[in-house]
Amino acid sequence: MDKILRIDMSATGGPQQSTEKAGEFAALGGRATTSTIVAKEVPPDCHPLSAENKLVIAPGMLSGTAAAISGRISVGCKSPLTGGIKESNAGGQAAQVLARLGYAAIIIEGLPEGDDLYKIHINKDRVEISVDNSNKLLDNYPLIDKLRKEYGDKVAFMSIGTAGERLMVSASIACTDPELRPTRHCGRGGVGAVMGSKKIKAIILDDAGCTNRPPRDAERFKTANRAFVEGIRKHPVSGEGLPAYGTNVLTNVLNEAGGYPTRNFKTGQFEDASKISGESQAELEIARGGKATHGCHRGCVIQCSGIYNDKDGKFLTKQPEYETVWSHGGHCGISDLDTIATLDYWDDNIGVDTIEMGVAIGVAMEGGVIEFGDDEGAIRLVRDEVGKGTPLGRILGGGAGMTGKAFGVTRVPVVKNQALPAYDPRTVQGIGVTYATSTQGADHTAGYAVATNILKVGGDVDPLKPEGQVELSRNLQIATTAIDSTGLCLFIAFPILDQPETFQSLLDLLGGFYGIEMTGDDIVALGQKVLTLEREFNKGAGFGPEDDRLPRFFQTEKLPPHNLTFGVTDAELDQLYNWD
Amino acid sequence: MAEKQSLRMVLPLEQLSAFSLLLQQGVWLRAQIGCSVASLLTEQFGIAEDYIVERITTLFLDCRPIDDLETSYVSDGSTLALSSAMPGLVGTTMRRGSHLAAMRGDISGQVQQPVESGMGRIRIKLFNLVMAELGATFLTQGICLSNAELDNFLSAKDDIFWQSVAATMVGDLQIDPVSLVKYIRSADPRAEILLQVEFES
Repeated sequence: MDKILRIDMSATGGPQQSTEKAGEFAALGGRATTSTIVAKEVPPDCHPLSAENKLVIAPGMLSGTAAAISGRISVGCKSPLTGGIKESNAGGQAAQVLARLGYAAIIIEGLPEGDDLYKIHINKDRVEISVDNSNKLLDNYPLIDKLRKEYGDKVAFMSIGTAGERLMVSASIACTDPELRPTRHCGRGGVGAVMGSKKIKAIILDDAGCTNRPPRDAERFKTANRAFVEGIRKHPVSGEGLPAYGTNVLTNVLNEAGGYPTRNFKTGQFEDASKISGESQAELEIARGGKATHGCHRGCVIQCSGIYNDKDGKFLTKQPEYETVWSHGGHCGISDLDTIATLDYWDDNIGVDTIEMGVAIGVAMEGGVIEFGDDEGAIRLVRDEVGKGTPLGRILGGGAGMTGKAFGVTRVPVVKNQALPAYDPRTVQGIGVTYATSTQGADHTAGYAVATNILKVGGDVDPLKPEGQVELSRNLQIATTAIDSTGLCLFIAFPILDQPETFQSLLDLLGGFYGIEMTGDDIVALGQKVLTLEREFNKGAGFGPEDDRLPRFFQTEKLPPHNLTFGVTDAELDQLYNWD
Repeated sequence: MAEKQSLRMVLPLEQLSAFSLLLQQGVWLRAQIGCSVASLLTEQFGIAEDYIVERITTLFLDCRPIDDLETSYVSDGSTLALSSAMPGLVGTTMRRGSHLAAMRGDISGQVQQPVESGMGRIRIKLFNLVMAELGATFLTQGICLSNAELDNFLSAKDDIFWQSVAATMVGDLQIDPVSLVKYIRSADPRAEILLQVEFES
């Protein structure tokens, strides 16, 4: 990854491309790369859909190598949903292919004149930016079918559906999986609208003739990778639970804890949770000839995805994730897996974030647009309103915050205008701290269960101290930011959390590849550096402490069954960024 | 509700999944109450200590995650949910003894004083890998459910299920599936029945 591709969509005479040396970014990746470039090159106060915003696409530090589960790709920009900095990442094949092509990043800047729609084809010999208006208003599935006929099956695609073309701020960027289906999405923050504003419909990545990136110390890298894989496979979460049931295995547990937000965050338990659990989902998938175990990209050894077939045994969608099953399920009072899978398909096809869309529908239900539990109504809203860009569809596609305003709803679960995911912060207060203070808006992956205990980020935290919430969240956000830069799937968190030897193999993997010695302190320093940059960007965009808050109703409405409110004070929240 | 009848079914092990929803929603068991969760699992249910330590890493007693099985006591009517280790920040937070336990401090089960002992009923929920591995054990020991619940359960079963049933007995009497459903529907819907399932591998 020794070069950066820069594409100026505003250039006179049509888009122009240039290639520059990767420089400091050659040994960075993912979120570290996207956020550093956005912080350096994008005016924080610009309009996110203007020529001043930039779309930065970066593979991870270990993408394109033989390292296991290193296939996350990051997309960064100023978010049209939050108004702050955004890094959104996804699995699929794109990261591996882009890295093998040698690019540390693609930076897309400016806006083209006119209404032409572009596609970008990148292979080892050239970059071709061309007008293709025949792709206009195609959704992701038909678009990819069409592009496969043009470019074959040995490529990876990144694309936007009609939501991105219509500049809806819940729009995602789809990345194709190993079967070339547009099922993996950089979903959060409206990155698809930024791609749409630049009139780019698809990026075709073709690594024919390229090989894996070679490590500096091949033997050390190989040994570390073997230990890393072994550690992942032997851990009960990454080696057994996730492969068997996928992330939706969390439904029963969250529901039992009373932390499963139901019917727009009114209660913490859904009476039909077991009908839409990962256990029930896996059984149905297997019974219909689908798969409960499947990788979202080649080289994945966890295989937490799956194939969801319809009643006739035909492919309907990939296995919906926990957050999707929640947003379209319990959050909307819907208990039918086929309805949820159909909504997942339409989200992927239109190209919208499944969390933002599901939460928006639940808020619309609260506002009386349709009733909670209305399966057909929910499908109609996504397929016929959002999918066709009707006025109602544009409100829903504008996210949960916009939907709440349009229908006079006071219980709107957003932070920095981004919808909360599937964990109620009144039950698990620590995650509320992360929702409130993350630079990204409400995001469950912003402070993941990364091994802060091993990293000793901020020292040891007494798990029984109630005031440890902010400290824990801070440490988790720092560690997660660093992992987001490696291109490794966040689910490595569990084996490296519990197995110090697996954490060491991760350091050896990075060290063996780059020929350097890495320590836990280096990981922490990287995370802090990136978070500081993001925080400064957000300050420049007008964010202050008052934006690091949960919606008021979390402090005033008690959540059954535990009847708790969010109790972390504003003063405590303001202590999160204490290292700068 | 007093136990009045028992139903015994013999099924192939691959039909364990037919009971999945029931096990996730929770099944009632007769048990000695007033004991610790540790005692309940090992002494009454016969679950090996190693299995509890290594596999049942997430437990909820009456919707509260518990960290110490020796000082958590089951009462008459308690619900105990058993799960393996979970992914995600919140999944990790819910684990027994999690280093992130502070994040769910407000809902964590607290150290209790022992409660009154005697015979009673507790509800067991089994999730994920624990359901797959212990479901047959609990069903073999027998679960209590009302005739109405049993009717709902049996009515939802398809032909494949019924064709795989090797034997069905109410008390000591062999009964065919059609007669069984008729029998259940003619009984008091609130009366309790003990369902025991024997799995053949």
